[in-house]
Amino acid sequence: MSNPPTEPLRFSFRRVSVLAEHAFREAVRQRVFQFTTLLAAVLVVGSLGLRELDFGGAELKFVADFGHGALVLFGSVLTIVTTVQLLGGELENRTLLPVLARPVRRSEFICGKFLGAWAVVLAFCAVVTALLLGALWLRMLSLPPPLPDAPLVPAAVAPYAGVLAGGALQAVKFGLLAAMVLLVGSYSQSTLFAQASSFLVLAICHLQYLARDAWQTGHGWLERFGGGLIGLVFPNFQLFGGEYLTSGAGGPEPLIVARVALYGLAYTAVFLALAVWSFRRREI
Amino acid sequence: MAENGNSTAQRPPAIEVRRLTKDYPLPGGLQRVRAVDDLSIRVEPGQIYGLLGPNGSGKSTTLKALLGLLRPTLGECFLAGVPGSNPAAHRAIGYLPEAPYFPRFLSGRELLRFHAKLCGLPRAGREERIEALLVRVGLESAADRRVGTYSKGMLQRIGLVQALVADPPILILDEPTAGVDPVGAADIAALILEQKARGTTVLLCSHLLAQIEEICDRVAIMHRGRLLAEGSLDDLLGRSARQALVVENLPAAELAAFRQWLGERGGTLYGVERPAARLDRFFLETLERAERVAPPATAGVGDAAR
Repeated sequence: MSNPPTEPLRFSFRRVSVLAEHAFREAVRQRVFQFTTLLAAVLVVGSLGLRELDFGGAELKFVADFGHGALVLFGSVLTIVTTVQLLGGELENRTLLPVLARPVRRSEFICGKFLGAWAVVLAFCAVVTALLLGALWLRMLSLPPPLPDAPLVPAAVAPYAGVLAGGALQAVKFGLLAAMVLLVGSYSQSTLFAQASSFLVLAICHLQYLARDAWQTGHGWLERFGGGLIGLVFPNFQLFGGEYLTSGAGGPEPLIVARVALYGLAYTAVFLALAVWSFRRREI
Repeated sequence: MAENGNSTAQRPPAIEVRRLTKDYPLPGGLQRVRAVDDLSIRVEPGQIYGLLGPNGSGKSTTLKALLGLLRPTLGECFLAGVPGSNPAAHRAIGYLPEAPYFPRFLSGRELLRFHAKLCGLPRAGREERIEALLVRVGLESAADRRVGTYSKGMLQRIGLVQALVADPPILILDEPTAGVDPVGAADIAALILEQKARGTTVLLCSHLLAQIEEICDRVAIMHRGRLLAEGSLDDLLGRSARQALVVENLPAAELAAFRQWLGERGGTLYGVERPAARLDRFFLETLERAERVAPPATAGVGDAAR
Protein backbone atom coordinates (compact mmCIF):
# COMPACT_ATOMS: atom_id res chain seq x y z
CA MET A 1 0.00 0.00 0.00
CA SER A 2 1.40 3.37 -0.97
CA ASN A 3 -0.58 5.61 1.41
CA PRO A 4 -2.63 4.90 4.52
CA PRO A 5 -6.39 5.37 4.05
CA THR A 6 -6.44 8.26 6.53
CA GLU A 7 -4.51 10.49 4.11
CA PRO A 8 -6.86 12.57 1.95
CA LEU A 9 -7.20 11.53 -1.68
CA ARG A 10 -6.45 14.52 -3.87
CA PHE A 11 -7.49 14.85 -7.51
CA SER A 12 -4.88 13.00 -9.55
CA PHE A 13 -4.13 13.53 -13.23
CA ARG A 14 -2.27 10.21 -13.17
CA ARG A 15 -5.47 8.35 -12.32
CA VAL A 16 -7.41 10.40 -14.88
CA SER A 17 -4.91 9.42 -17.56
CA VAL A 18 -5.16 5.73 -16.54
CA LEU A 19 -8.96 5.92 -16.80
CA ALA A 20 -8.76 7.79 -20.12
CA GLU A 21 -6.34 5.27 -21.60
CA HIS A 22 -8.62 2.46 -20.49
CA ALA A 23 -11.70 4.16 -21.97
CA PHE A 24 -9.86 4.85 -25.26
CA ARG A 25 -8.65 1.26 -25.56
CA GLU A 26 -12.13 -0.09 -24.88
CA ALA A 27 -13.80 2.32 -27.32
CA VAL A 28 -11.47 1.78 -30.29
CA ARG A 29 -11.92 -1.97 -29.99
CA GLN A 30 -15.67 -1.62 -30.40
CA ARG A 31 -17.22 -2.06 -33.81
CA VAL A 32 -18.92 1.34 -33.78
CA PHE A 33 -15.55 3.12 -34.06
CA GLN A 34 -14.32 0.87 -36.85
CA PHE A 35 -17.66 1.02 -38.66
CA THR A 36 -18.18 4.80 -38.56
CA THR A 37 -14.54 5.50 -39.50
CA LEU A 38 -14.79 3.11 -42.43
CA LEU A 39 -18.08 4.61 -43.64
CA ALA A 40 -16.77 8.18 -43.43
CA ALA A 41 -13.59 7.15 -45.25
CA VAL A 42 -15.60 5.45 -48.01
CA LEU A 43 -17.71 8.58 -48.47
CA VAL A 44 -14.66 10.87 -48.63
CA VAL A 45 -12.81 8.67 -51.09
CA GLY A 46 -16.06 8.03 -53.00
CA SER A 47 -16.48 11.76 -53.61
CA LEU A 48 -13.56 11.48 -56.04
CA GLY A 49 -15.69 9.28 -58.27
CA LEU A 50 -18.17 12.07 -59.03
CA ARG A 51 -16.29 12.96 -62.20
CA GLU A 52 -19.36 14.08 -64.16
CA LEU A 53 -19.36 17.21 -62.01
CA ASP A 54 -16.22 18.54 -63.67
CA PHE A 55 -16.60 22.24 -62.97
CA GLY A 56 -13.08 23.24 -61.90
CA GLY A 57 -12.50 25.01 -58.61
CA ALA A 58 -16.13 24.70 -57.52
CA GLU A 59 -15.72 20.95 -57.71
CA LEU A 60 -12.95 21.12 -55.11
CA LYS A 61 -15.30 22.98 -52.79
CA PHE A 62 -17.93 20.31 -53.44
CA VAL A 63 -15.48 17.55 -52.44
CA ALA A 64 -14.51 19.52 -49.32
CA ASP A 65 -18.15 20.09 -48.31
CA PHE A 66 -19.05 16.46 -49.02
CA GLY A 67 -16.18 15.19 -46.88
CA HIS A 68 -16.98 17.70 -44.15
CA GLY A 69 -20.57 16.45 -44.14
CA ALA A 70 -19.35 12.87 -43.65
CA LEU A 71 -17.16 14.07 -40.79
CA VAL A 72 -20.07 15.88 -39.09
CA LEU A 73 -22.59 13.07 -39.53
CA PHE A 74 -20.50 10.08 -38.53
CA GLY A 75 -18.54 12.03 -35.93
CA SER A 76 -21.78 12.94 -34.15
CA VAL A 77 -22.99 9.33 -34.21
CA LEU A 78 -19.61 8.07 -33.01
CA THR A 79 -19.43 10.63 -30.17
CA ILE A 80 -22.88 9.84 -28.83
CA VAL A 81 -22.72 6.07 -29.12
CA THR A 82 -19.18 5.80 -27.73
CA THR A 83 -19.73 8.17 -24.81
CA VAL A 84 -23.04 6.57 -23.83
CA GLN A 85 -21.37 3.17 -23.97
CA LEU A 86 -18.43 4.31 -21.87
CA LEU A 87 -20.64 5.54 -19.01
CA GLY A 88 -24.14 4.10 -19.43
CA GLY A 89 -22.81 0.74 -20.59
CA GLU A 90 -20.60 0.54 -17.51
CA LEU A 91 -23.53 1.44 -15.27
CA GLU A 92 -25.79 -1.11 -16.91
CA ASN A 93 -23.21 -3.91 -16.92
CA ARG A 94 -21.98 -2.96 -13.45
CA THR A 95 -18.39 -2.97 -14.71
CA LEU A 96 -17.80 0.30 -12.89
CA LEU A 97 -18.35 -1.23 -9.43
CA PRO A 98 -14.79 -2.56 -9.04
CA VAL A 99 -13.44 0.70 -10.48
CA LEU A 100 -15.32 2.96 -8.05
CA ALA A 101 -14.29 0.65 -5.21
CA ARG A 102 -10.71 1.72 -5.99
CA PRO A 103 -9.21 4.89 -4.52
CA VAL A 104 -10.74 6.92 -7.35
CA ARG A 105 -12.72 10.15 -7.04
CA ARG A 106 -15.88 10.30 -9.08
CA SER A 107 -14.64 13.52 -10.68
CA GLU A 108 -11.57 11.61 -11.88
CA PHE A 109 -13.81 8.89 -13.26
CA ILE A 110 -15.90 11.32 -15.30
CA CYS A 111 -12.85 13.28 -16.50
CA GLY A 112 -11.17 10.01 -17.52
CA LYS A 113 -14.22 8.91 -19.47
CA PHE A 114 -14.45 12.33 -21.12
CA LEU A 115 -10.81 12.34 -22.20
CA GLY A 116 -11.07 8.74 -23.43
CA ALA A 117 -14.16 9.51 -25.51
CA TRP A 118 -12.63 12.72 -26.84
CA ALA A 119 -9.42 10.91 -27.79
CA VAL A 120 -11.48 8.43 -29.83
CA VAL A 121 -13.25 11.26 -31.67
CA LEU A 122 -9.96 13.11 -32.20
CA ALA A 123 -8.54 9.99 -33.82
CA PHE A 124 -11.63 9.78 -36.03
CA CYS A 125 -11.37 13.47 -37.01
CA ALA A 126 -7.65 13.12 -37.76
CA VAL A 127 -8.21 10.09 -40.03
CA VAL A 128 -11.15 11.60 -41.93
CA THR A 129 -9.53 15.05 -42.28
CA ALA A 130 -6.28 13.48 -43.54
CA LEU A 131 -8.26 11.44 -46.08
CA LEU A 132 -10.16 14.53 -47.16
CA LEU A 133 -6.96 16.52 -47.66
CA GLY A 134 -5.55 13.60 -49.67
CA ALA A 135 -8.71 13.43 -51.79
CA LEU A 136 -8.54 17.18 -52.51
CA TRP A 137 -4.88 16.94 -53.47
CA LEU A 138 -5.57 14.04 -55.82
CA ARG A 139 -8.48 15.87 -57.45
CA MET A 140 -6.39 19.00 -57.74
CA LEU A 141 -3.76 17.06 -59.67
CA SER A 142 -6.32 15.81 -62.17
CA LEU A 143 -7.83 19.24 -62.91
CA PRO A 144 -6.75 20.84 -66.22
CA PRO A 145 -4.31 23.79 -65.96
CA PRO A 146 -5.75 27.32 -66.36
CA LEU A 147 -6.24 28.36 -69.99
CA PRO A 148 -3.58 30.90 -71.13
CA ASP A 149 -6.07 32.65 -73.44
CA ALA A 150 -8.69 33.05 -70.67
CA PRO A 151 -6.96 35.11 -67.95
CA LEU A 152 -10.27 36.07 -66.30
CA VAL A 153 -11.03 32.43 -65.32
CA PRO A 154 -9.42 31.97 -61.86
CA ALA A 155 -7.15 29.02 -61.23
CA ALA A 156 -8.67 26.26 -59.07
CA VAL A 157 -7.53 26.48 -55.41
CA ALA A 158 -8.07 23.63 -52.96
CA PRO A 159 -9.44 24.83 -49.58
CA TYR A 160 -6.80 23.00 -47.54
CA ALA A 161 -6.78 25.55 -44.68
CA GLY A 162 -10.57 25.53 -44.47
CA VAL A 163 -10.66 21.72 -44.30
CA LEU A 164 -8.02 21.70 -41.57
CA ALA A 165 -9.84 24.39 -39.57
CA GLY A 166 -13.15 22.59 -40.11
CA GLY A 167 -11.68 19.31 -38.83
CA ALA A 168 -10.24 21.04 -35.77
CA LEU A 169 -13.52 22.84 -34.97
CA GLN A 170 -15.50 19.64 -35.37
CA ALA A 171 -13.11 17.94 -32.94
CA VAL A 172 -13.84 20.73 -30.43
CA LYS A 173 -17.57 20.38 -31.09
CA PHE A 174 -17.47 16.62 -30.55
CA GLY A 175 -15.64 17.18 -27.26
CA LEU A 176 -18.46 19.49 -26.19
CA LEU A 177 -21.02 16.94 -27.34
CA ALA A 178 -19.20 14.22 -25.33
CA ALA A 179 -19.40 16.40 -22.19
CA MET A 180 -23.13 16.93 -22.77
CA VAL A 181 -23.66 13.19 -23.28
CA LEU A 182 -21.80 12.50 -20.04
CA LEU A 183 -24.16 14.87 -18.24
CA VAL A 184 -27.15 13.04 -19.71
CA GLY A 185 -25.58 9.66 -18.88
CA SER A 186 -24.80 10.68 -15.30
CA TYR A 187 -28.48 10.53 -14.38
CA SER A 188 -29.94 8.20 -17.05
CA GLN A 189 -31.18 4.81 -15.95
CA SER A 190 -30.66 3.12 -19.34
CA THR A 191 -28.38 3.46 -22.34
CA LEU A 192 -31.39 3.66 -24.66
CA PHE A 193 -32.70 6.73 -22.83
CA ALA A 194 -29.22 8.25 -22.77
CA GLN A 195 -28.77 7.76 -26.52
CA ALA A 196 -32.22 9.07 -27.42
CA SER A 197 -31.78 12.12 -25.18
CA SER A 198 -28.31 12.78 -26.56
CA PHE A 199 -29.54 12.78 -30.17
CA LEU A 200 -32.30 15.18 -29.09
CA VAL A 201 -29.68 17.45 -27.50
CA LEU A 202 -27.66 17.29 -30.74
CA ALA A 203 -30.71 18.36 -32.75
CA ILE A 204 -31.46 21.22 -30.34
CA CYS A 205 -27.87 22.45 -30.55
CA HIS A 206 -28.01 22.44 -34.35
CA LEU A 207 -31.26 24.42 -34.25
CA GLN A 208 -30.18 26.69 -31.38
CA TYR A 209 -30.00 29.69 -33.72
CA LEU A 210 -33.80 29.56 -34.01
CA ALA A 211 -34.08 30.02 -30.25
CA ARG A 212 -31.70 32.96 -30.37
CA ASP A 213 -33.81 34.51 -33.12
CA ALA A 214 -36.90 34.07 -30.94
CA TRP A 215 -35.07 35.70 -28.04
CA GLN A 216 -34.01 38.70 -30.11
CA THR A 217 -37.06 39.19 -32.30
CA GLY A 218 -39.84 37.31 -30.48
CA HIS A 219 -43.15 39.02 -29.80
CA GLY A 220 -44.37 37.74 -26.42
CA TRP A 221 -42.34 37.60 -23.20
CA LEU A 222 -42.73 33.81 -23.10
CA GLU A 223 -41.24 33.43 -26.57
CA ARG A 224 -38.38 35.76 -25.71
CA PHE A 225 -37.73 34.14 -22.30
CA GLY A 226 -37.93 30.58 -23.66
CA GLY A 227 -35.74 31.44 -26.64
CA GLY A 228 -33.23 33.19 -24.40
CA LEU A 229 -33.09 30.28 -21.98
CA ILE A 230 -32.56 27.66 -24.71
CA GLY A 231 -30.11 29.97 -26.48
CA LEU A 232 -28.09 30.32 -23.32
CA VAL A 233 -28.18 26.71 -22.07
CA PHE A 234 -27.50 25.02 -25.39
CA PRO A 235 -24.46 25.93 -27.50
CA ASN A 236 -24.89 26.83 -31.16
CA PHE A 237 -23.41 23.96 -33.21
CA GLN A 238 -23.89 25.87 -36.46
CA LEU A 239 -20.89 27.99 -35.54
CA PHE A 240 -18.52 25.03 -35.88
CA GLY A 241 -19.10 24.60 -39.60
CA GLY A 242 -20.36 26.53 -42.55
CA GLU A 243 -19.48 28.57 -45.56
CA TYR A 244 -16.89 30.70 -43.83
CA LEU A 245 -14.55 27.72 -43.57
CA THR A 246 -14.24 26.69 -47.21
CA SER A 247 -15.46 29.63 -49.26
CA GLY A 248 -12.40 31.92 -49.15
CA ALA A 249 -9.32 31.06 -51.14
CA GLY A 250 -7.04 32.15 -48.33
CA GLY A 251 -8.85 30.04 -45.73
CA PRO A 252 -10.94 31.18 -42.75
CA GLU A 253 -9.96 34.04 -40.47
CA PRO A 254 -7.76 32.54 -37.71
CA LEU A 255 -9.30 34.90 -35.14
CA ILE A 256 -12.81 33.67 -35.91
CA VAL A 257 -11.70 30.04 -35.73
CA ALA A 258 -9.99 30.69 -32.39
CA ARG A 259 -13.06 32.43 -30.96
CA VAL A 260 -15.35 29.57 -31.99
CA ALA A 261 -12.91 27.04 -30.47
CA LEU A 262 -12.81 29.03 -27.22
CA TYR A 263 -16.62 29.21 -27.20
CA GLY A 264 -16.75 25.41 -27.54
CA LEU A 265 -14.12 24.80 -24.88
CA ALA A 266 -15.88 27.12 -22.40
CA TYR A 267 -19.18 25.27 -22.85
CA THR A 268 -17.30 21.95 -22.54
CA ALA A 269 -15.88 22.98 -19.17
CA VAL A 270 -19.34 23.97 -17.92
CA PHE A 271 -21.02 20.74 -19.06
CA LEU A 272 -18.18 18.61 -17.71
CA ALA A 273 -18.47 20.31 -14.32
CA LEU A 274 -22.22 19.66 -14.34
CA ALA A 275 -21.63 15.98 -15.25
CA VAL A 276 -19.17 15.63 -12.35
CA TRP A 277 -21.64 17.28 -9.95
CA SER A 278 -24.50 15.06 -11.13
CA PHE A 279 -22.45 11.83 -11.03
CA ARG A 280 -21.14 12.55 -7.52
CA ARG A 281 -24.72 12.51 -6.25
CA ARG A 282 -25.65 9.34 -8.08
CA GLU A 283 -26.26 6.09 -6.22
CA ILE A 284 -24.78 3.11 -8.04
CA MET B 1 0.25 -5.70 3.31
CA ALA B 2 -1.83 -5.93 6.43
CA GLU B 3 -0.07 -5.97 9.73
CA ASN B 4 -0.76 -9.10 11.70
CA GLY B 5 -0.23 -7.61 15.11
CA ASN B 6 -1.88 -8.19 18.43
CA SER B 7 -2.62 -4.53 19.09
CA THR B 8 -6.20 -4.66 17.84
CA ALA B 9 -7.36 -2.80 20.94
CA GLN B 10 -5.56 0.35 19.77
CA ARG B 11 -6.55 -0.03 16.15
CA PRO B 12 -9.96 0.82 14.77
CA PRO B 13 -12.00 -2.14 13.55
CA ALA B 14 -11.19 -3.09 9.97
CA ILE B 15 -14.86 -2.70 9.05
CA GLU B 16 -17.59 -1.08 11.08
CA VAL B 17 -21.24 -0.52 10.24
CA ARG B 18 -23.10 1.63 12.77
CA ARG B 19 -26.89 1.56 12.80
CA LEU B 20 -27.13 1.46 9.01
CA THR B 21 -30.56 2.01 7.52
CA LYS B 22 -31.19 2.25 3.79
CA ASP B 23 -34.52 3.06 2.19
CA TYR B 24 -35.16 2.97 -1.55
CA PRO B 25 -37.96 5.05 -3.03
CA LEU B 26 -40.56 3.06 -4.95
CA PRO B 27 -41.62 4.26 -8.42
CA GLY B 28 -43.70 7.40 -7.92
CA GLY B 29 -41.55 8.47 -5.00
CA LEU B 30 -44.34 8.46 -2.41
CA GLN B 31 -43.49 5.14 -0.78
CA ARG B 32 -40.19 3.68 0.28
CA VAL B 33 -38.95 0.17 0.83
CA ARG B 34 -36.44 -0.53 3.62
CA ALA B 35 -33.53 -2.65 2.35
CA VAL B 36 -31.41 -2.46 5.50
CA ASP B 37 -32.82 -1.73 8.94
CA ASP B 38 -30.64 -0.52 11.81
CA LEU B 39 -27.73 -2.85 11.07
CA SER B 40 -24.57 -2.75 13.16
CA ILE B 41 -21.59 -5.05 12.63
CA ARG B 42 -17.95 -4.82 13.55
CA VAL B 43 -15.14 -6.81 11.92
CA GLU B 44 -11.82 -6.86 13.74
CA PRO B 45 -8.54 -6.92 11.81
CA GLY B 46 -7.52 -10.39 10.67
CA GLN B 47 -10.98 -11.93 10.91
CA ILE B 48 -12.96 -13.69 8.21
CA TYR B 49 -16.50 -12.46 8.63
CA GLY B 50 -19.43 -14.05 6.82
CA LEU B 51 -22.57 -12.13 5.97
CA LEU B 52 -25.36 -14.61 5.41
CA GLY B 53 -28.90 -14.21 4.28
CA PRO B 54 -31.36 -15.15 1.56
CA ASN B 55 -31.72 -13.11 -1.62
CA GLY B 56 -33.06 -9.65 -0.88
CA SER B 57 -31.90 -9.69 2.73
CA GLY B 58 -29.81 -6.54 2.27
CA LYS B 59 -26.30 -8.01 2.05
CA SER B 60 -25.30 -6.36 -1.23
CA THR B 61 -26.89 -3.06 -0.16
CA THR B 62 -24.78 -3.19 3.00
CA LEU B 63 -21.62 -3.77 0.97
CA LYS B 64 -22.48 -0.93 -1.42
CA ALA B 65 -23.10 1.43 1.49
CA LEU B 66 -19.75 0.36 2.96
CA LEU B 67 -18.04 1.23 -0.32
CA GLY B 68 -19.77 4.59 -0.61
CA LEU B 69 -21.66 3.54 -3.73
CA LEU B 70 -24.95 4.23 -1.89
CA ARG B 71 -25.77 6.96 0.59
CA PRO B 72 -27.16 5.54 3.85
CA THR B 73 -30.55 6.89 4.90
CA LEU B 74 -29.28 6.68 8.47
CA GLY B 75 -26.10 5.43 10.08
CA GLU B 76 -22.45 5.29 9.14
CA CYS B 77 -19.96 2.86 7.61
CA PHE B 78 -16.21 2.82 8.18
CA LEU B 79 -13.30 1.07 6.51
CA ALA B 80 -10.12 1.07 8.61
CA GLY B 81 -11.61 3.90 10.65
CA VAL B 82 -12.34 6.10 7.60
CA PRO B 83 -15.89 6.71 6.31
CA GLY B 84 -16.52 4.36 3.40
CA SER B 85 -17.90 7.24 1.33
CA ASN B 86 -14.42 8.79 1.35
CA PRO B 87 -12.52 7.32 -1.63
CA ALA B 88 -9.33 7.51 0.43
CA ALA B 89 -10.73 4.60 2.48
CA HIS B 90 -10.66 2.48 -0.66
CA ARG B 91 -6.87 2.37 -0.49
CA ALA B 92 -7.35 -0.28 2.18
CA ILE B 93 -9.66 -2.60 0.27
CA GLY B 94 -10.04 -5.01 -2.58
CA TYR B 95 -13.59 -5.66 -3.75
CA LEU B 96 -15.10 -8.49 -5.74
CA PRO B 97 -18.70 -7.68 -6.79
CA GLU B 98 -21.41 -10.29 -7.10
CA ALA B 99 -21.38 -11.96 -10.54
CA PRO B 100 -18.48 -9.79 -11.68
CA TYR B 101 -18.59 -8.28 -15.15
CA PHE B 102 -15.50 -6.78 -16.68
CA PRO B 103 -14.97 -4.95 -19.98
CA ARG B 104 -15.24 -7.66 -22.62
CA PHE B 105 -12.65 -6.10 -24.88
CA LEU B 106 -9.77 -6.30 -22.42
CA SER B 107 -7.61 -9.35 -21.87
CA GLY B 108 -7.26 -10.69 -18.34
CA ARG B 109 -3.75 -9.28 -18.09
CA GLU B 110 -4.84 -5.83 -19.35
CA LEU B 111 -7.64 -5.79 -16.77
CA LEU B 112 -5.23 -6.51 -13.94
CA ARG B 113 -2.76 -3.95 -15.26
CA PHE B 114 -5.53 -1.33 -15.34
CA HIS B 115 -6.50 -1.98 -11.71
CA ALA B 116 -2.87 -2.10 -10.61
CA LYS B 117 -2.24 1.29 -12.23
CA LEU B 118 -5.37 2.76 -10.64
CA CYS B 119 -4.10 1.67 -7.24
CA GLY B 120 -0.77 3.35 -7.97
CA LEU B 121 1.30 0.16 -7.96
CA PRO B 122 4.82 1.16 -9.04
CA ARG B 123 5.93 0.01 -12.46
CA ALA B 124 8.78 -1.98 -10.93
CA GLY B 125 7.36 -5.29 -9.81
CA ARG B 126 3.87 -4.65 -11.23
CA GLU B 127 4.08 -7.24 -14.00
CA GLU B 128 5.68 -9.80 -11.69
CA ARG B 129 2.86 -9.34 -9.15
CA ILE B 130 0.24 -9.77 -11.90
CA GLU B 131 1.96 -12.88 -13.24
CA ALA B 132 2.26 -14.42 -9.77
CA LEU B 133 -1.45 -13.87 -9.08
CA LEU B 134 -2.45 -15.29 -12.48
CA VAL B 135 -0.39 -18.40 -11.78
CA ARG B 136 -1.89 -18.66 -8.28
CA VAL B 137 -5.42 -18.94 -9.68
CA GLY B 138 -4.44 -21.01 -12.72
CA LEU B 139 -5.23 -18.34 -15.33
CA GLU B 140 -1.75 -17.85 -16.75
CA SER B 141 -2.59 -19.66 -19.99
CA ALA B 142 -5.74 -17.54 -20.49
CA ALA B 143 -4.21 -14.23 -19.41
CA ASP B 144 -3.99 -12.82 -22.93
CA ARG B 145 -7.46 -13.88 -23.98
CA ARG B 146 -10.28 -11.35 -23.93
CA VAL B 147 -12.35 -11.41 -20.76
CA GLY B 148 -15.48 -11.73 -22.92
CA THR B 149 -14.46 -15.31 -23.73
CA TYR B 150 -14.02 -16.35 -20.07
CA SER B 151 -16.27 -18.90 -18.35
CA LYS B 152 -18.13 -17.99 -15.15
CA GLY B 153 -15.52 -19.66 -13.01
CA MET B 154 -12.70 -17.86 -14.80
CA LEU B 155 -14.52 -14.54 -14.32
CA GLN B 156 -14.76 -15.18 -10.58
CA ARG B 157 -11.07 -16.02 -10.45
CA ILE B 158 -9.95 -12.98 -12.44
CA GLY B 159 -12.29 -10.91 -10.23
CA LEU B 160 -10.67 -12.27 -7.12
CA VAL B 161 -7.24 -11.53 -8.52
CA GLN B 162 -8.21 -7.93 -9.36
CA ALA B 163 -9.34 -7.55 -5.75
CA LEU B 164 -5.96 -8.84 -4.57
CA VAL B 165 -3.79 -6.97 -7.05
CA ALA B 166 -2.80 -4.15 -4.67
CA ASP B 167 -2.37 -6.52 -1.72
CA PRO B 168 -5.04 -4.77 0.36
CA PRO B 169 -5.42 -5.32 4.13
CA ILE B 170 -9.21 -5.70 3.75
CA LEU B 171 -11.03 -7.88 1.21
CA ILE B 172 -14.75 -7.49 0.54
CA LEU B 173 -16.08 -10.43 -1.46
CA ASP B 174 -19.67 -10.65 -2.63
CA GLU B 175 -20.47 -14.27 -3.46
CA PRO B 176 -16.90 -15.22 -4.40
CA THR B 177 -17.83 -18.79 -5.32
CA ALA B 178 -21.10 -18.15 -7.19
CA GLY B 179 -21.10 -20.19 -10.40
CA VAL B 180 -17.79 -21.86 -9.59
CA ASP B 181 -17.45 -25.65 -9.63
CA PRO B 182 -16.58 -27.42 -6.35
CA VAL B 183 -12.88 -27.64 -7.23
CA GLY B 184 -12.73 -23.93 -8.00
CA ALA B 185 -14.75 -23.13 -4.87
CA ALA B 186 -12.35 -25.12 -2.72
CA ASP B 187 -9.43 -23.32 -4.35
CA ILE B 188 -11.01 -19.93 -3.68
CA ALA B 189 -11.63 -20.94 -0.05
CA ALA B 190 -7.97 -21.93 0.23
CA LEU B 191 -6.94 -18.59 -1.23
CA ILE B 192 -9.10 -16.74 1.31
CA LEU B 193 -7.52 -18.73 4.13
CA GLU B 194 -4.07 -17.88 2.74
CA GLN B 195 -4.99 -14.22 2.91
CA LYS B 196 -6.19 -14.60 6.49
CA ALA B 197 -2.89 -16.24 7.39
CA ARG B 198 -1.17 -13.10 6.08
CA GLY B 199 -3.33 -10.92 8.34
CA THR B 200 -5.91 -9.80 5.79
CA THR B 201 -9.42 -9.07 7.01
CA VAL B 202 -12.12 -10.65 4.84
CA LEU B 203 -15.80 -9.78 4.72
CA LEU B 204 -17.69 -12.15 2.48
CA CYS B 205 -21.26 -12.83 1.47
CA SER B 206 -22.09 -16.35 0.40
CA HIS B 207 -24.96 -18.75 0.04
CA LEU B 208 -22.68 -21.76 0.51
CA LEU B 209 -23.21 -22.34 4.21
CA ALA B 210 -20.77 -25.26 4.37
CA GLN B 211 -18.04 -23.06 3.00
CA ILE B 212 -18.86 -20.21 5.37
CA GLU B 213 -18.74 -22.65 8.25
CA GLU B 214 -15.33 -23.90 7.13
CA ILE B 215 -13.57 -20.58 6.79
CA CYS B 216 -15.35 -17.88 8.81
CA ASP B 217 -14.48 -16.76 12.33
CA ARG B 218 -17.73 -14.85 12.83
CA VAL B 219 -20.99 -14.63 10.93
CA ALA B 220 -23.99 -12.36 10.80
CA ILE B 221 -27.34 -13.60 9.56
CA MET B 222 -29.58 -11.05 7.87
CA HIS B 223 -33.20 -11.31 6.82
CA ARG B 224 -35.35 -8.55 5.32
CA GLY B 225 -32.67 -6.03 6.14
CA ARG B 226 -32.45 -6.91 9.81
CA LEU B 227 -29.71 -8.62 11.74
CA LEU B 228 -31.11 -11.85 13.19
CA ALA B 229 -27.98 -13.31 14.74
CA GLU B 230 -24.33 -12.40 15.03
CA GLY B 231 -21.36 -14.00 16.69
CA SER B 232 -18.57 -16.54 16.42
CA LEU B 233 -19.51 -19.91 14.93
CA ASP B 234 -18.78 -21.61 18.24
CA ASP B 235 -21.16 -19.29 20.05
CA LEU B 236 -23.88 -19.55 17.45
CA LEU B 237 -23.73 -23.29 16.92
CA GLY B 238 -23.13 -24.09 20.58
CA ARG B 239 -20.45 -26.61 19.79
CA SER B 240 -17.70 -25.45 22.07
CA ALA B 241 -18.58 -27.85 24.91
CA ARG B 242 -19.15 -30.90 22.74
CA GLN B 243 -16.64 -33.25 21.14
CA ALA B 244 -16.99 -35.85 18.40
CA LEU B 245 -15.06 -39.11 18.30
CA VAL B 246 -15.16 -40.98 15.02
CA VAL B 247 -14.38 -44.70 15.39
CA GLU B 248 -14.60 -47.64 13.06
CA ASN B 249 -15.71 -51.26 13.62
CA LEU B 250 -16.55 -50.91 17.33
CA PRO B 251 -18.69 -53.96 18.36
CA ALA B 252 -22.00 -53.30 20.13
CA ALA B 253 -20.78 -54.82 23.40
CA GLU B 254 -17.74 -52.60 23.41
CA LEU B 255 -19.95 -49.60 22.72
CA ALA B 256 -22.00 -50.33 25.85
CA ALA B 257 -18.79 -50.63 27.85
CA PHE B 258 -17.55 -47.36 26.41
CA ARG B 259 -20.80 -45.61 27.33
CA GLN B 260 -20.42 -46.86 30.91
CA TRP B 261 -16.74 -45.89 31.04
CA LEU B 262 -17.62 -42.42 29.81
CA GLY B 263 -20.40 -42.04 32.38
CA GLU B 264 -18.02 -42.96 35.19
CA ARG B 265 -15.84 -40.03 34.11
CA GLY B 266 -18.63 -37.47 33.96
CA GLY B 267 -19.18 -37.59 30.21
CA THR B 268 -22.36 -38.27 28.32
CA LEU B 269 -22.67 -40.07 25.01
CA TYR B 270 -25.37 -38.13 23.21
CA GLY B 271 -25.73 -40.26 20.14
CA VAL B 272 -24.27 -42.93 17.93
CA GLU B 273 -24.56 -42.32 14.18
CA ARG B 274 -23.22 -43.83 11.02
CA PRO B 275 -21.86 -40.73 9.29
CA ALA B 276 -21.74 -40.87 5.53
CA ALA B 277 -18.97 -39.05 3.68
CA ARG B 278 -20.06 -35.54 2.67
CA LEU B 279 -20.72 -35.33 -1.04
CA ASP B 280 -18.47 -32.29 -1.54
CA ARG B 281 -15.58 -34.03 0.22
CA PHE B 282 -16.20 -37.25 -1.73
CA PHE B 283 -16.31 -35.28 -5.01
CA LEU B 284 -13.00 -33.53 -4.32
CA GLU B 285 -11.30 -36.74 -3.17
CA THR B 286 -12.45 -38.57 -6.32
CA LEU B 287 -11.03 -35.81 -8.51
CA GLU B 288 -7.78 -35.76 -6.55
CA ARG B 289 -7.41 -39.52 -7.03
CA ALA B 290 -8.02 -39.12 -10.78
CA GLU B 291 -5.43 -36.31 -10.95
CA ARG B 292 -2.86 -38.54 -9.27
CA VAL B 293 -3.47 -41.37 -11.75
CA ALA B 294 -3.53 -39.18 -14.89
CA PRO B 295 -2.38 -35.58 -14.40
CA PRO B 296 -3.67 -33.04 -16.96
CA ALA B 297 -1.54 -32.29 -20.01
CA THR B 298 -1.96 -28.50 -19.70
CA ALA B 299 -3.21 -26.15 -17.01
CA GLY B 300 -6.85 -25.10 -17.10
CA VAL B 301 -7.95 -27.77 -19.57
CA GLY B 302 -11.22 -28.35 -17.80
CA ASP B 303 -12.15 -24.71 -17.89
CA ALA B 304 -14.24 -24.47 -21.00
CA ALA B 305 -14.62 -21.06 -22.53
CA ARG B 306 -18.07 -19.62 -22.87
